[in-house]
Amino acid sequence: MNTLAAFFRKEWMEWVRSGRLIILLLIFILFGILNPAMAKLTPWLMEMMSESLESTGLSVTEVPIDALTSWTQFYKNIPTQIIVFVLMVSGTFTAEYQRGTLILVLTKGLSRWKVFAAKGGFLTLAWSACFWLCYGITYVYTDFYWDNSIASDLLLSAALLWLFGIWIIALLLFFSAIAKSSAAVLAGIGCLAFGSSILGVFPKISMYLPTKLLEAQALLTGAAKIEDFRISLLVIGVTSVAAVAVGLVVFRRKRL
Amino acid sequence: MPMLEISHIAKSFADKKVLVDLNLTVPEKSIFGFVGQNGAGKTTTMKIILGLLPADGGEIRVNGELVSFGQNRTNQFCGYLPDVPEFYSFMTSAEYLRFCGEITGMDARKAQLRAQELLALVGLDKEKHRIRGFSRGMKQRLGIAQALLNQPKLLICDEPTSALDPVGRKEILDILVAAKEQTTILFSTHILSDVERISDEIAFLHKGQIQFSGNREKMLLMHKADGFEIETERGEDADALLGVFDGGVKQGRTLVVFEKGNEEQMDAALAHIVREHIAVRRVEKREATLESVFMEVVGR
Repeated sequence: MNTLAAFFRKEWMEWVRSGRLIILLLIFILFGILNPAMAKLTPWLMEMMSESLESTGLSVTEVPIDALTSWTQFYKNIPTQIIVFVLMVSGTFTAEYQRGTLILVLTKGLSRWKVFAAKGGFLTLAWSACFWLCYGITYVYTDFYWDNSIASDLLLSAALLWLFGIWIIALLLFFSAIAKSSAAVLAGIGCLAFGSSILGVFPKISMYLPTKLLEAQALLTGAAKIEDFRISLLVIGVTSVAAVAVGLVVFRRKRL
Repeated sequence: MPMLEISHIAKSFADKKVLVDLNLTVPEKSIFGFVGQNGAGKTTTMKIILGLLPADGGEIRVNGELVSFGQNRTNQFCGYLPDVPEFYSFMTSAEYLRFCGEITGMDARKAQLRAQELLALVGLDKEKHRIRGFSRGMKQRLGIAQALLNQPKLLICDEPTSALDPVGRKEILDILVAAKEQTTILFSTHILSDVERISDEIAFLHKGQIQFSGNREKMLLMHKADGFEIETERGEDADALLGVFDGGVKQGRTLVVFEKGNEEQMDAALAHIVREHIAVRRVEKREATLESVFMEVVGR
């Protein structure tokens, strides 16, 4: 187990020294502050624009701003943050393949599953830290300006978004095991994620799709119930486990 | 028990046969020179030994244990230096060695002492910068240090000197000779003078098979060359010698080579030189060199 921890520490050192960790944290913190800030600024923005809108015949009435406005921003921004996260970490395996740095590690007798587990574990931890940090900041500011209690199931609905990120990480592990370049990894994840969101326009199948979880905001107003996400959660769970399991099998036999 | 035993290994890439029935035995505590042209299959062989590539057939034993692809149990006996070793460039050499110690499950204190010792051996003990800025020679030296860290029974070096300048090459060869005290060394190369300088045993790889394997002296004896050569001061003297003795071939302006010449003919030639007061640079009996044996093996 110590050897696994050693590789985990190497990941940590790499993330810290390459600046990747700090950049990701800063981006997620920035979004965390931006979500309530945008909500706060909305009336002012509307007022600014109202004059020019009036000249086109549109009249602006007062927009009600509350905690839900801030959370709407949160849900709107998370997909962008996931894309940034994936772009930043897509090379976690492939950069090592291309540079050949894993050769020495593996010829020293470190088991391949430990490399896979350490990288997967680190990605999960990094995603969780970034996500919950962003959530926490949005939560505190929103509570400060308005009242979070008008939204129901805040934590639960955020957890669904977080799980969507975990699904993306599982896909990243799978595509990193079969592909050689980070472009291929990105293409694989992109196809599945965008494919799922495009198929989501058909109401009949949308409940089966992983991207359904991105609509978890509906829980806040009571427009949806957790039961509505049950099938989608099941699909995410099964495909994540399958992606990691198949990825591990392929990685163990991968030629480096 | 031999440290490394390769029997009947075969390997093809697509329809290109790289190794055909390769057999090789490396005895313990030897420096084994593994010689072949570029593309002969040296690196492929080494990667199969390390379980980085699957073989199509045959088996390999390291320290008596069977090697299997993907699973690297036998690698606990091996230290490996690839032709171009790649490290985590964000670490310093000391950090990298500590990391290596950790992933091999070495005791932390022991690993640290060993790392200091090895960094001194390869001359990187004063180097505090990150690996990012290392030269090729420095990376090669760090490569040897990491390969020796867990005191492997078998050190596998893939063309350790090919990319280096003469100074770097000498340093690496000296380090390998020093390492011989602790381990068995298998190193591949196409630089024959390196083999000549440090190895006890040699194998020639050609056309996917070992064409010769064994002791260096034995090999040179087996491939004894005949003849002698005379190098004169003046070109006219060389021409004159050709007229007096049969079977000579002129190489360059002043060198005459008698490829089939025997001892009597050489004596006669010497007597002629003394009698006629010919100014010579050297008269030499031709001996087999690794190069001549190698050329013979590869059929040139």
